[in-house]
Amino acid sequence: MSSLDRTQTPASGDIRNFDFPEVQAAVLSNGLDLRICVLPRLPIVSINLFLRAGEGGLIDERAGTAVLTGDILEGGTLKRSGSLLAEALERIGARLGVSTGWEGTSVSVSVLADRLPETFSLLAEVVLEPEFPVAEVDRARDQQLADIQQRGMDPSALASDEVSRRFYANGLPYARPLVGTQSSIDSVTRDHIRGYAEACYRPAFGGLIVAGDVDPEQIVSLSDKYFGSWSGSPSVMDTFSVEPETRERRIWILDRPGSVQSEIRVGHVGVERTTPDYLPLSIANLLLGGTFTSRLNLNLREKHGFTYGVRSRFGFRSQPGPFFVSTAVGNDVTADAIREILYELDSLVLGGPTGEEVEAACDYAAGVFGLHLETAGQIASRLNQIVIYGLSHDYYHRYRDDIRSVSPEDVAAVAQKHIRPNEAQIIIVGDAGSIVSSVDALALGPLEVI
Amino acid sequence: MSRLAIPLERDCLDNGLKIVLSPDHTVPIVAVNIWYGVGSRNELPGHTGFAHLFEHMMFQGSEHVPKNKHFELIERVGGTLNATTWFDRTNYFETVPSRDLELALWLESDRMGWMLPAMNQEKLDNQREVVKNEKRQRYDNQPYGDWDQRLQALIYPKEHPYHHPVIGSVEDLDAATLEDVAKFFSTYYVPNNAVLTIAGDFEESQVKDLIQRYFGEIQAGEQIPALPGDPHLDPVIGDTVREHVLAEVPLTRVIMGFRIPPYSSEDFAVAEVSRALLGMGRASRLYRTLVRERRVAKGVVTYAFPLLTGASMLLAWVTGYPDSTPEQLETALTEEIEALVEVKQSEVDRAIALTETDLVRALEHVGERANLLSMFDLYFDDPDRLNYEIDRLRAVTLDQIRDFVVSRLGPNNRAVLVYEPKRTA
Repeated sequence: MSSLDRTQTPASGDIRNFDFPEVQAAVLSNGLDLRICVLPRLPIVSINLFLRAGEGGLIDERAGTAVLTGDILEGGTLKRSGSLLAEALERIGARLGVSTGWEGTSVSVSVLADRLPETFSLLAEVVLEPEFPVAEVDRARDQQLADIQQRGMDPSALASDEVSRRFYANGLPYARPLVGTQSSIDSVTRDHIRGYAEACYRPAFGGLIVAGDVDPEQIVSLSDKYFGSWSGSPSVMDTFSVEPETRERRIWILDRPGSVQSEIRVGHVGVERTTPDYLPLSIANLLLGGTFTSRLNLNLREKHGFTYGVRSRFGFRSQPGPFFVSTAVGNDVTADAIREILYELDSLVLGGPTGEEVEAACDYAAGVFGLHLETAGQIASRLNQIVIYGLSHDYYHRYRDDIRSVSPEDVAAVAQKHIRPNEAQIIIVGDAGSIVSSVDALALGPLEVI
Repeated sequence: MSRLAIPLERDCLDNGLKIVLSPDHTVPIVAVNIWYGVGSRNELPGHTGFAHLFEHMMFQGSEHVPKNKHFELIERVGGTLNATTWFDRTNYFETVPSRDLELALWLESDRMGWMLPAMNQEKLDNQREVVKNEKRQRYDNQPYGDWDQRLQALIYPKEHPYHHPVIGSVEDLDAATLEDVAKFFSTYYVPNNAVLTIAGDFEESQVKDLIQRYFGEIQAGEQIPALPGDPHLDPVIGDTVREHVLAEVPLTRVIMGFRIPPYSSEDFAVAEVSRALLGMGRASRLYRTLVRERRVAKGVVTYAFPLLTGASMLLAWVTGYPDSTPEQLETALTEEIEALVEVKQSEVDRAIALTETDLVRALEHVGERANLLSMFDLYFDDPDRLNYEIDRLRAVTLDQIRDFVVSRLGPNNRAVLVYEPKRTA
């Protein structure tokens, strides 16, 4: 064999077709959006029932009710207690999980394919016939209150909560933590929980997604059998519109005495998931702080050694979610890190990206898209996005072509429009005594220690 | 009977590099995964944390790959990559579109064979700061962040290689030199101390030639030195040992640890099943009784560490509510663990059904497949163990579990670490 020239980077081989798998869609007579994707690779199935019961539809006084109701779903049904329900699911190896966000509640199950009929029956029982026993309501409420207490000592959670509070106008759902507040959770009763589920756990505007080693005809018939007679529309939908708390750049230091690091967040209100700018903005974010070789990470980590890592992200929600840079750095370099973060934001907004950066980010996005279509759960969660945000049926089939067509001019334009360093709220959770003077010396705007 | 039939083939290069190949053409991506037989257990006194710092240096370039180029090239093709360091091993891995397999092989082989020419003081100083920030972020600035360090020190004596934490100490990190990097590399980062697994969509007719081409000319190293310190241990601690920590934590947490047979022992399966009975899923004993029914705990966590040297550890922790006392939590946890002598077959069946679902879900990822194959090859010289792992657990009998509970989970083998919130006046 000829000796290898190690100085040459190997070129990519021929591209192999990699399409998003075929999806069968149907709408049941009750409005439930059914999506089926056959993946015969391994004998596993992922089911995801999306209910339009999200925290975004709740007033401040009831904040956390959607999360809490979702948590108590596993607490028992009209037919069996929480312990017996867990036993019935786990005996057949079914992993049930409930997660609640701003838009809705997802009840998901993973199970081996030969257990599908029993799993459908149990899933329907959990969602359509919940009991919400008093003891389980008390338990879930106490757990959620304890969670809130734990968040109060976790620097990263504290920083997230401060992002919500400082970015959004008081009274907006996004201004509070997803899990609610001490006072809103304290006042939740079993009647609230039952009333909430009765009103919001309804099929219309929801979706049932099944991905894995399945027979579509069997899925249609199981869906009809177990969910066909369910009816109605959720009574509460989120209809608010978003306002920032302020457009003035400000610095907030949440004092956590004795901290050996500063948790930093820099950003402002971003943009909604359905914005036409979504793809170019995703590229802008990738090259700013969405990959290891992004501008922010190469600067703060690989050049300066300030941090273990730094990211930027747009929280894409049905209404404009937050855009922010996040990192944790040593106390002595807190001011330096903030200066560098703002430098990178300014550079991108004022100078735009290079053609090479945009090409690299588009290649990354198109390539990594395929890597995340390996499992039934990953496919199901993509389909869930289509249902939640009303994306087009062929959204993911076109995604790779669409993302590759993003141009440097597109990216420069959306970065200018949606990244506004002069409006940034700069949030630091850390030891105020050791950082306040150097941060104040940056003269970035009014500083408040809280 | 196991339903798993993950195909695999083994090979070994002349330089001692072990190879595992596991084709699957359903998705056009491929995972490249290397396990090196070196971890924190190999660290000499005064060098704690070095194995992990070294892992960071492996991303700082090699003779033919400039700094940051490794990340840049993999991200450019839409791949993902990372590495982790643990007690017994260090692993490096990337998943890429299958047409870029050669790129991953080039990068991994270059740092296996030609890392040292790219090393310099600036890179070492930079990554030392990165690692110190990692330590601050993940351990020092987190409530309960030092639990593993404290628990290890209770379960393993000072001279045992698991006594100290993987992240190491700041003093030792500060003392690390470029000479240490060179010595560690030539001692441990040798093909005869590594397993390379490729899983996913690759050309079976060409892959061995490719591997030979990229890795074949790397020189074999010396035999790997014996572990420092004294890896021998009594099977049990011999007493109940405890530490009570008053700290800035929100809720009382009681962490219990036990010495258990090492991962390499046949009896480890008994520990794994016992831990699943205690804490896997919501029908498990600790969740059902302590969290749901008695409501003494906000949450429970259990884990059987798969460690090779002398003894491994099983841990069970309970986090209380604001009014919980450490005594209540410890008593409740002890009662439930000891009650496991009355185990029923239906519980075992449940735990194994869940384990099977979890394993199949993990195997949906070619990256996870490759990782497990590397582990089973490096640790047990038996990558096919992946296919009968569930059978191994299913063979555990109720008598074995009862014996395990009595001999291993009693007061003569218990480490109790209590975190209690510091109350300010």
